[in-house]
Amino acid sequence: MAEEFNTDSMLSVYLYENGQLLEKLEGIILEKQDESFDDSDINEIFRIMHTIKGSSGMMMYENIAKVSHKLEDVFYYLRESHPDDVPHEELVEKVLAVSDFITEEIDKIKDGEDPDGDESELLDDLDEFLGRLKGEIKTQGIRLPKPNKSEEPTQFYITPVAEDDSHFYRIVIHYRNDTQMSNIRAYSATYALKEIAEDLLFTPDDILSNEASADVILNEGFHMLLQTKTCKDDVYDLIDSSEAEQITLDEITAEDYGRELMEFGREDGDVPPGAPPIVINLDDDPQAAKDDKKETPSPGDYVVKKKAAGKGKTLAKNQTKQQTIISVNVEKMDALMDLIGELVIAEAVVLQNPDLKVPGLELSNFQKASTQLSKITTELQEVIMSMRMMPLTATFQKMKRIVFDASRKLGKDIELEIIGENTEVDKNIIEHISDPLMHLVRNSVDHGIEENVADRIALGKSAKGKITLMAKNEGGKVFISVKDDGKGLSKEKLYKKALQNGLIDNKPISDFQEKEIFQFITLPGFSTKEQVTELSGRGVGMDVVVKNIQDIGGRLDIESVEGSGSEMTLMIPLTLAIINGIVVQVGNSFFVIETASIKEFVRLTEESMIQEPSGEEYIVIRGECYSFIRLNERYNLSESSTKVDDGIVVVLDHEGRQVCILIDKLLQEQEIVVKPIPSYIKKVKGLSGCTQLGDGSIALILDIGGLIQNEERR
Amino acid sequence: MKILLAEDDFASRKFMDKMLSHYGECDVMVDGEEAVDAFMMALEDDEPYDLACLDVMMPVMDGYQVLKAIRNIEAQKGISEDKRVKVIMTTALNDERNVKMAFELGCEAYAGKPIDVEKFEKVLKKLELI
Repeated sequence: MAEEFNTDSMLSVYLYENGQLLEKLEGIILEKQDESFDDSDINEIFRIMHTIKGSSGMMMYENIAKVSHKLEDVFYYLRESHPDDVPHEELVEKVLAVSDFITEEIDKIKDGEDPDGDESELLDDLDEFLGRLKGEIKTQGIRLPKPNKSEEPTQFYITPVAEDDSHFYRIVIHYRNDTQMSNIRAYSATYALKEIAEDLLFTPDDILSNEASADVILNEGFHMLLQTKTCKDDVYDLIDSSEAEQITLDEITAEDYGRELMEFGREDGDVPPGAPPIVINLDDDPQAAKDDKKETPSPGDYVVKKKAAGKGKTLAKNQTKQQTIISVNVEKMDALMDLIGELVIAEAVVLQNPDLKVPGLELSNFQKASTQLSKITTELQEVIMSMRMMPLTATFQKMKRIVFDASRKLGKDIELEIIGENTEVDKNIIEHISDPLMHLVRNSVDHGIEENVADRIALGKSAKGKITLMAKNEGGKVFISVKDDGKGLSKEKLYKKALQNGLIDNKPISDFQEKEIFQFITLPGFSTKEQVTELSGRGVGMDVVVKNIQDIGGRLDIESVEGSGSEMTLMIPLTLAIINGIVVQVGNSFFVIETASIKEFVRLTEESMIQEPSGEEYIVIRGECYSFIRLNERYNLSESSTKVDDGIVVVLDHEGRQVCILIDKLLQEQEIVVKPIPSYIKKVKGLSGCTQLGDGSIALILDIGGLIQNEERR
Repeated sequence: MKILLAEDDFASRKFMDKMLSHYGECDVMVDGEEAVDAFMMALEDDEPYDLACLDVMMPVMDGYQVLKAIRNIEAQKGISEDKRVKVIMTTALNDERNVKMAFELGCEAYAGKPIDVEKFEKVLKKLELI
């Protein structure tokens, strides 16, 4: 029933507004959790509670109204008397308790249930707190202000009983040719349907007043359009089928219904409420949503003009419902995204069709047209991308609460700094990173920050721990990092632990690079914390985090300095599906390199090569030395140039680290639709996906980061 | 309690009449103009209505116009806020903008159709009518 319940627009406005207010409230509380509230905070909380109380009263959710009223009272006294020594921590707890209570009740309303939570305990609690506060105010010699006069709400909104959605039917009755007074039969049919009809229209429409209509009915049949909540079978039963030769009853969509209404020659042609004209607002301008003020109804718009026989109510002013924002099912968006991906491939297939490669073919018109097509598909992609982008604000907001709760529970004093919360990423990604991020933040609180403040001070750090949550966009990727200034990771401990759990071969610690050791914590079944705490440390965590991130094509990077903190960085592609890439050829195979990671193409001679005795190769470009990868050797490709002189060297950059690869030929730059690599070749390192090229052949997408990592490990 | 009911749809009218008759004497009107006339008449006879239930979509005058007219008449006659008739709009037009407008025009409650009888009674209690 939930959906139908939410169709009530008053209710959805109530839910939306209160959701916003609660978010704001939580924001204030978490920001000021450690210092006392200043006047503007107290005022703000007072106002928020006042608004919630008012609207809940109007909507008749009494428990919410009572609780918010009580808290409003508390803040009223704080505002009027400015008492000193307010037990701030307790106050924060009370506010959070109230906010949790209201959130829970609002969730119930959203699910179409009654908000039936018991508020009495919370009220008593607040009363007791308020009592103490008043006593405090008195002992401080401040006069108690007049009790907060509360006005009972004087206006109420009664939400309608939830009901089913309307169905729309087209009904045609053909009577037998010898039927007497078919117009009267038709009338009895309409009469029977009127009982259940929300809207009923029939033609001919003068069946009672014009006897000639009987002939029309016999010849052309009796047509009806019906809007009702009743299901098809019941409608069928209502129609008197005696004398009827044929009854057709089709269920039609709301849109068709609207169209047929017009054809029926109804002069107003008003669209049934089930099918408001849809306008998707592609502008990011939030103002646009407010621009529909002009259509504010006014008295007199709803006068029912005199009813003509067989016609529904006609209003003085036809309602033109203009919606500027619609919510769309994510599945539909995904389907659209997939389709656009296919379109891009199809475009490449057409534009790079081998048939066009006949020498001497005059193609200038074709080229013009194809440029136009490419432009449109690119724009199409941008539009769908922008539709799917959402800021990280809400996700980060959640982290505030997690840090707050977790630090309370563990008795640690921690401050959370948030940078770049407005960074926008694909909706899919937001869904995928919420849990991993939560885990990382919890880890930082639990394992990162020292238990003993003394330990921190001994190291010259401030007593208060600090966690920084940061997001940024760079080179087609989102970087989200969780940084703490706590203990940092101990390489020796990690190594010992990994050895102990049999996660690594028995190699000396010096065989491992720093980063590799840190990556141990992402192995399944690894937990360095001796004791399992309530929050984290069950050893199922980091590996799940890494898996989730890998699922969306991202990586987790760990950096840490023992004693001064660690930083976990998630690197995730901004969008999942389409990248701009350059197609290159090595031997008979095609590879795609993401354009953003290419620094330059150079032609070099053998002289710039340096070969180590171990077989590792380096290349010197303008005095700088880069490690060198031969793709043909790496992937065992035959028939490719082995001499540097014949090929082209590509300098790739990945997060500040460079590597050079040798390719045979540059083919073209194009939009690449990334498809996942089939699982049977997933183990191949250095590849992030594959795609289909214009001529139908498959190209592999190089994962530069993976390539570099792989090279370093060798 | 004296109740004014304005409702043009037969089925709704019958339902509302039955429901409201529990609480008092109910006068039933079928369009907006009649409702205003009846309200006027009751004032002149010095037997004003305690409660008016107004449908919105009605012939001649719609519910909002009736509400506005009633409030104007009351203002003109110098009837104080606490003495004026309590108005409940009863309609399926529960668009937020419509509801807001009705509240601005001065109705006490706005009941979306189909009417939740339980809540309706609660509101009557809150309005101190029963």
